This record gives sequence, C-alpha cells and structure tokens, in this order.
Amino acid sequence: MKSLILNEFTKIWSYGAFRIIILLHFILFFLVVLVTSQLDITIPGFSTDYLYQFPNIWEFFPWVASWFNLLLAILIIVITGNEYTFRTFRQHVIDGLSRTNLLTGKGFLIAAIAIYSMLMVLLFSLLFGFIFTRDLTVAVFVKKTYMLLVYFVQALAYMSAGFLLAILFRNTALAIVLFILYRLIIEPVVRLFFQPEVRLFFPMKVISNLTPMPEFLSISSGNQTDPGNVDTLNLREMGILVEDLPVYLNLLLALGYTSLFIFLAWLLLKKRNL
Amino acid sequence: MAFNLTTLNYYNLEHILSIQQISKNYGRIVAVQDLSIEVGPGHVFGILGPNGSGKTTTLAIICGVISPDAGSYYWYGKAALAVIRKNIGSLIEVPNFYPYLDLLKNLTIIARIKGKPVEDIERVLKLTNLWDRRKSRFDTLSLGMKQRLALSAVLLGDPDVLVLDEPANGLDPEGIAEVREIIKQEAEKQKTIILASHILDEVEKVCTHVAVLKKGRSIAQGRVHELLAADDPVVVECVEAVRLKEELIRVGMSSSIEMDGDELTIILKSGYGARDVNEYAFQKGIILTHLETRKKSLESQFLELVKQAGQ
Repeated sequence: MKSLILNEFTKIWSYGAFRIIILLHFILFFLVVLVTSQLDITIPGFSTDYLYQFPNIWEFFPWVASWFNLLLAILIIVITGNEYTFRTFRQHVIDGLSRTNLLTGKGFLIAAIAIYSMLMVLLFSLLFGFIFTRDLTVAVFVKKTYMLLVYFVQALAYMSAGFLLAILFRNTALAIVLFILYRLIIEPVVRLFFQPEVRLFFPMKVISNLTPMPEFLSISSGNQTDPGNVDTLNLREMGILVEDLPVYLNLLLALGYTSLFIFLAWLLLKKRNL
Repeated sequence: MAFNLTTLNYYNLEHILSIQQISKNYGRIVAVQDLSIEVGPGHVFGILGPNGSGKTTTLAIICGVISPDAGSYYWYGKAALAVIRKNIGSLIEVPNFYPYLDLLKNLTIIARIKGKPVEDIERVLKLTNLWDRRKSRFDTLSLGMKQRLALSAVLLGDPDVLVLDEPANGLDPEGIAEVREIIKQEAEKQKTIILASHILDEVEKVCTHVAVLKKGRSIAQGRVHELLAADDPVVVECVEAVRLKEELIRVGMSSSIEMDGDELTIILKSGYGARDVNEYAFQKGIILTHLETRKKSLESQFLELVKQAGQ
C-alpha cells in the first residue's frame, strides 16, 4: 500500500504538466479572490466585503474554487491517460500489480489532490476571513465550515468522473473533450427534457449544486445584516432562485455517484485487456 | 499477501509454467489456438514462429495483461495471481517506461511494485552498461538503450523466471551478443527462461527446449537437440553419383536422395550413419571424394515444419 502511494508521488512529482496545472489552479484561484475583493462596485447597498467575512466566506470560496474543478478533473484525465499512452498500466500488471492495485493507486492520487484543493480553500479563507471580518466570534467563525468538507466531496466527484472517462476511452484528448461536452452541453440539454424536480438528480447537477452560488440577490436587496430574512421562497416562486435539494441529500447523492464512477472504472479495468 | 517462493520448493516442481489448451481470438483473427506448453525448472524454453504466429499474445496471456478466451495456465502449479508475477521478470514487446522520468526513477517504481530492494538497481544498470546514463530521462535514450533498460528491469531483484519477448529487438550486433551472454549467464544460474523469437539463430544458441508456433498453433515441441538430431542429411560427392544413388536405393539404406551434379544429399533411414554409406560405397567399388554429415540448422528444420503444417 505504501509503495503504491510512493509510486504515484514519484510519477507526478517530476511531471511538468502536473506542476503547471497545480500552479495554475493555485494562482488563478488566488487572483480571482484577490481581484474580486478589491472591486469597488457602486451598486447601492452592495459591497463585496460581505462575501469575505466569516461565515459567508466558507460558502463563497468553495463556490469560486468549484470553477477550477475542471482543471483538477483534466489533471486526473491526463495522468490516467498517460498510463495508457506510455503503456505503463500494462507494464505494472506484468510486473505484478493487480488491476485493483491500479485503481487504488489512482484513488489515493484523487484523494490527495482533493485534500490539497480543500487545504488551499482553507488557507485563503482564513487569510481573507481574518482580514475582512470585523466582529469575529467563535460562533460566526465555525458556522458553515462544513462547506469545506462539501467542497472536498465535490472535487472528489469531479475527478472520479474524469478518471472513469479516461479509463473508458483510454485516450486523453477524447476523455477531456467528452468531459467538457458532457458537463456543459450534453447533460444540461438532456436535463431539459425532464421535470424540474427530476433535473436535480442528474450527476453533474448534483455535483455542481454542492457549492451553490451565494445568494447575491439577497445582498443587493439591501438586507446585508441578516440575509436569512430575505423571502427566498418568494424568489423561488418568481423563478429567480432554483429549488435545491437539502445539502445532506445532495451530499449523499454526490458520494453515491462518486462510488458509482469508481466502481464502473474498476469493472472496465478488470474486464478489458491492457 | 506475502508470497513465499521457498515454500513452493522451486527445484522439486515438475513445471514452472503449465499452459493448457489456451485459445484467443481478436474478432475473426485467431491469435492462439489450443496451445499447450509445459516449462520445467531450469529450462530455457524458446517459442519460435514467424511474425503474427501468436508468440506475443501467448506471453501477454501468461503475464496477465490479456485474458484467454478458453483454457488456463498455471505458474508453479497455481492459478495465476498478481503476486506470483512479482518474482517473474518479463519483457513483452516494447519497453514501457515513463518518458519524462530518469532511469533511476523508472526502475525505482518497478522495484517498489515488485517489492525488491532499490539497491539492486545499480547492479542491473551496470549489467546492461546503462549506469552512466542513470540520470538521463528515458526519452533521451536510443532504441537499443531502451531495450537494454527493459532488460535491466527484467533482471531487477534477481527473479527465478524470465519471460523475454524478442529481447534482441533493435540492438546492434554487439548488443545482441551482450543480451545473448546475459541470457546464458542467467541460464547457468539454473533460472527458467521463456524466450520468444523469430530469429532462429537466437533460439538455437541459447535454448534447451523449443516450441514452434504457426498461426497460433504449436506445430512442434521438444528439446532443441532432439529436434535437430532428427534426419541429418549425409552429403557425398563421387564420380559415379548415379550408380551410387541406384545402389543405395536398392539396398534400402536411404529414405530419400537428392542429386545435384556429382553431389548426393542422402537422408538415411534410422540405424544408418555416414560410416555405413562409406563402407557400402567402397564395397561396390565407388570411391567417394567427399563425405559429410550436415547438421541441419534450426532454420531449415523450422522451414520444413512450417511447410509440413501448411499442407
């Protein structure tokens, strides 16, 4: 088990594309939150400062980070696709790994990258949160910290989906194109044919709904001190806010989909020639 | 998880590898058909056949990367498990390494997979003259060096069984000689070696046993020297070639005679040798100017077998 982890580490550490993508991920996230915090938007009653205060930052930063999950999924696709391009999955089996070992190795990598990404969100949340929050109490600080864990599951789910596609197509370019197409076009179009309640159960919808957009509307309506008081039910009836599943249900569904992706990838690895 | 080789009593085992009635199709193309092979401890087993005869497919099956459509195979008398392969050094087709990693890192990954000490890397790299290049990226190596690195990976951890698919591929004559030397050294250490090749010379020089494949079927199997010993032709030259031919046919000593000018190529019936030909010809007053038992090369043997199987 230890050697599986060490090997995954050796493979990525000297890999140029890995370093660049992780660096891009880190820097882009930092730039986006930095620039947004300096925006001076002259809408009455709107200030971005609000988003950078505890506990709202715990919702805002995971949402921003979720834009960059695509990078992480592509990273996993590239690394898995390499194992086919270099025929090293084949060589590993010849050298004595089982196909389940191949899956476990990549599973560790996915988990490690999700942990990195979560720690990045944590780091910047603490940094900006302490700068922008004026009246800091423990209760305010702790509230909504669970969003970090939700974000972790989201990163895990996206990367597992990418992993499945890479195993399915055994081709990096094809897997990346299909991942993006499925995420942005195929599933959204297919969803339109279903009832709004059913749409919420589609995999990409479930995963992206984990970190919903913070309720800007409640902010611009001027009620910054207590956004909970905004009549969200009314907003939903107006079609401005979409009905969501409860967070815990969404989380369970996302974990279910992740397990399904990994299981299907394992089946494919098991059944096919290398 | 621990797989202890010593408990299996390596040297008392009847078969290291036993392949039973394996078949594999790729769509309508038959790659391997009803193939059975048994390899005993210490054998250097050659699998010989023209391109596309199923050599690589057979080796890929016994190394676990392709599953057969029918039949089964056993290593050490046991159904195949991934852990068993950790003690088998295999080179199938082309060398597969991470192009962006240096040689040390590539071999470290393999050492970790096989559970072998990383310290052994120095020995195997020196054995293949690649130690000086240990810090080079794999993709900067020449084809021959890549092949030598693959051989280093095979020898890593000193496995008891080697599976080699065209190990001399892409090597220059010097490299081929080196590889042959390495294989011979390993064979002297009582290792079991399974070697696929289409180069007959290679098989003839290093193997103790051989199986000849054609279109996925085994058309001949046995010890190399037994396959070679069969029906070595006797070549004679004399002035009265026609008369000698007639005499030999009459006395029933030969099974076939080919005549080319003054030269006769005689396949003798069993029990007769070159001496008998000489003696008989002398009795009949025919003086031979040349007499030779020609060792049939594996090449002609092989071509004959392939021809026969095609009929």
